[in-house]
Amino acid sequence: MNTVKLYIRSMGMLLKSHLQYPLSFFMQTIAQLIMEGGEMLAVILIVNRFRQLKDWTGGNLFFFFGIMSVSFYITEFFGRGITGDFPSMVRTGRLDTFLVRPRGVLTQVLCGGIDPRRITCIAVGVAALVIGSRMSEVVWTPLKVLCFAESIAMSCLLILGLFMIEAIFCIHSVKSVELVNALTYGGRSACQYPIDIYPKPLRMLFTIIAPFALTLHVPAAWIMGKNLYGWPSWTAFVTPLSGVLVFGIMTVLFKQGIRFYRSTGS
Amino acid sequence: MSYIEVNGLKKTFTVRKKREKGKLLREKQTVEALKGVSFSVEKGDLVGYIGPNGAGKSTTVKILSGILTPDGGEAKVGGKVPWLDRKEYVKHIGVVFGQRSQLWWDVPIIDSFSLLKDIYRIPKTDYDNRLKELSDALQLEELMRTPLRLLSLGQRMRAELCGSLLHRPELLFLDEPTIGLDAVSKLALRDFLKWENREYGTTVMLTTHDMEDIAALCSRVMVLGHGKKLFDGKLPDLLEKFDTVRTVSVRYDSDVLRIDMPENVKCEHKGEEYILTYSPAEFPTSRLLKALQDAGNIREMTLQPENIDHLIASMYKEMDL
Repeated sequence: MNTVKLYIRSMGMLLKSHLQYPLSFFMQTIAQLIMEGGEMLAVILIVNRFRQLKDWTGGNLFFFFGIMSVSFYITEFFGRGITGDFPSMVRTGRLDTFLVRPRGVLTQVLCGGIDPRRITCIAVGVAALVIGSRMSEVVWTPLKVLCFAESIAMSCLLILGLFMIEAIFCIHSVKSVELVNALTYGGRSACQYPIDIYPKPLRMLFTIIAPFALTLHVPAAWIMGKNLYGWPSWTAFVTPLSGVLVFGIMTVLFKQGIRFYRSTGS
Repeated sequence: MSYIEVNGLKKTFTVRKKREKGKLLREKQTVEALKGVSFSVEKGDLVGYIGPNGAGKSTTVKILSGILTPDGGEAKVGGKVPWLDRKEYVKHIGVVFGQRSQLWWDVPIIDSFSLLKDIYRIPKTDYDNRLKELSDALQLEELMRTPLRLLSLGQRMRAELCGSLLHRPELLFLDEPTIGLDAVSKLALRDFLKWENREYGTTVMLTTHDMEDIAALCSRVMVLGHGKKLFDGKLPDLLEKFDTVRTVSVRYDSDVLRIDMPENVKCEHKGEEYILTYSPAEFPTSRLLKALQDAGNIREMTLQPENIDHLIASMYKEMDL
């Protein structure tokens, strides 16, 4: 439990650091709102123009968009150490200071970054979820709430896991990370829409390699009373676990990677 | 067995060269940072570790503090191998990097210390006592509520030291701790390190380019160059080997056309002043004085004090570093 306490205390301190520059913080938060609002506008336009995308209604589209936004930006909010700051931690040698402390490196990396500006993005996501769930006439049962929570948590772990690929490359001092961005940011952009509108190669990519379809689309479809791949309904509780699997694999690789770490400067 | 035992330590880095024209892949180059370094340090020693830039000093410190894994050789500190079981090992060491901070940039330093208490799992009463003691010794009382970024370099270094000693490490590594500090801060830092070493028997290993640090603090000095250990012993012994040259500056009443000097005396003419560099072993001082007097009426003359930096520079030169 001590690690959780450490994480919470670190978060408090980082929040304090961010608020040292209130104007900049405020402006950037607004900028985030405009950016994510724009993304949502795209969905609104599609819904207005087409009413339906394959078998998905407008409400369904909002729900998919919302669940992706909330998961992605919660991860960026709390996992900034991995999703944004890690390359600079390596470059500036901050990672060295983590290595001389008696705590796990990954723990310290996660304790070392927070991005509270994402709060507005999360808010947009929540709004989309509320609209989506109303329009899709979702009847919330305890089981559905559980499935929903699991889906968000597992998607967060999946996204964190995918960003860790970049971190692992970074430890080996390989700079080109565009390919990894295709999975993380590309995954977010693509998978905020239902997966079955895409051709097979893309579906395979986001089901097997970066399994957003398993952590997000399968449970979300079940919550809205539809069936994505024609799988039985209990799969809505099982497939999201792929998120923790990806995270687990990446954690092991990350720890291996740290052994090859070669540090910088004097 | 000594407290620190290092035997044949080796580390090689692979550096990518810039891509040459017409070649698809960049060539790799290996740089041997350490080519088999061995030494031992007793508990409670204050050891200086010097050498020109790129000699392998920081690499040694990084290996001994568990940041890097060596490619060959052995190292044990207090019976433990630093790079195995890192988490257990680093509980007992403290590290200060002169050029990077371990504290949080934007928050008051007291908040950083309090988070370090959680990171190292220091019991509350221990923490309170130790913080009081360190803040008295380092005069941090007044600065506790100030964010790190608003501190001067000297104040920041004091805060870094406090942060790295809160958990009472047995061994303290200092990587260029006095870099960029003013004279007063340097003196205060040295006094503090002596105090900590005397009071708690903390073993200190410091790398520096400032020879005054070594002269003031270290009972022992190791010289590293090109990844090899070149000298290990007391500072006076090191200096004796290279302290062979004297410098004299002379002013004359009137312009002097030339001074007759043999070739092994270097003679420079700067404004009104003549600066002569010679080795008493090769050219006796009395003969030098005679030659100077023969040249004209001496108005004033200074024997320049030995400059420790010059000595080290000539030592590096002699050792071909």
